[in-house]
Amino acid sequence: MRYLGPVTARAFRRLCRARDSLRDVGDARVSIRDIAREADISPFHFIRQFEAVFGRTPHQYRIDSRIERAKNLLVSGELSVTDVCFEVGFSSLGSFSTLFANRVGEAPSSFRRRYWALGRPPAVQDGSLYPACLALMWQLPAAAAIFEKHPVPEL
Amino acid sequence: MKIKLTSLMVENQDRALAFYTGPLGFVKKHDIPVGEYRWITVTSPDGPKDVELALEPNANPAGKAFQEAMFEQGIPVAAFEVDDIAAEHLRLKAAGVVFTKDPTPMGPVTIAVFSDTCGNLIQIHQRA
Repeated sequence: MRYLGPVTARAFRRLCRARDSLRDVGDARVSIRDIAREADISPFHFIRQFEAVFGRTPHQYRIDSRIERAKNLLVSGELSVTDVCFEVGFSSLGSFSTLFANRVGEAPSSFRRRYWALGRPPAVQDGSLYPACLALMWQLPAAAAIFEKHPVPEL
Repeated sequence: MKIKLTSLMVENQDRALAFYTGPLGFVKKHDIPVGEYRWITVTSPDGPKDVELALEPNANPAGKAFQEAMFEQGIPVAAFEVDDIAAEHLRLKAAGVVFTKDPTPMGPVTIAVFSDTCGNLIQIHQRA
């Protein structure tokens, strides 16, 4: 890996602000170059530093944020798939659906159907993970058997 | 009563496992699929073998908000002890780890802070 100097407190704050801009789906059409300029870092260094600090390139981070937001909107169920697509900053339903399917493993509509079939939003389901995890630590074979019998539906 | 397990929330469990067993040098103890996520723990080859660090998904929005706020305030969420902080600092930097604080004497300890690439700042310290 390439050597990177320390991130100064100022650069760190700028990177955090840039992360907020990237997450703001309303800014989906602002270029990475513009966000780098706003952070007052050259695009080259911005991409390198961002990836070293946050583990993803700015582009990947933005896509992940949009998919994450789309998942929440789909589950909440107030918008159509097309509306969700526009809401998270895509202009083409085709490219949204393809990207979503690539990242999540199924089309937006089938993702929504499956979560609705579960009858509870993902946040509730995720919360229920923690006690199960603790159970796993103490009684690994027994708990593993329970999970085999009653698997949490996979995404 | 003893401390057996502590945990960190991470943005992505694959990336976390790669980081904590890669540059940090911890050893994977458990990696068990649980639905959408996994129960992953690591141990330190330099510390007690029965103390585990769990790398938990930050999927709960409340957890995510807490994690991001701590990060933006520059506050580390975990601290690990090292014998030679100068050497660790060089070693980690060479592995591509970004420090937000280079080794700095703070009274009885010298501390340094880096990003774990999974949404957390981590502190390492060496006792004087």
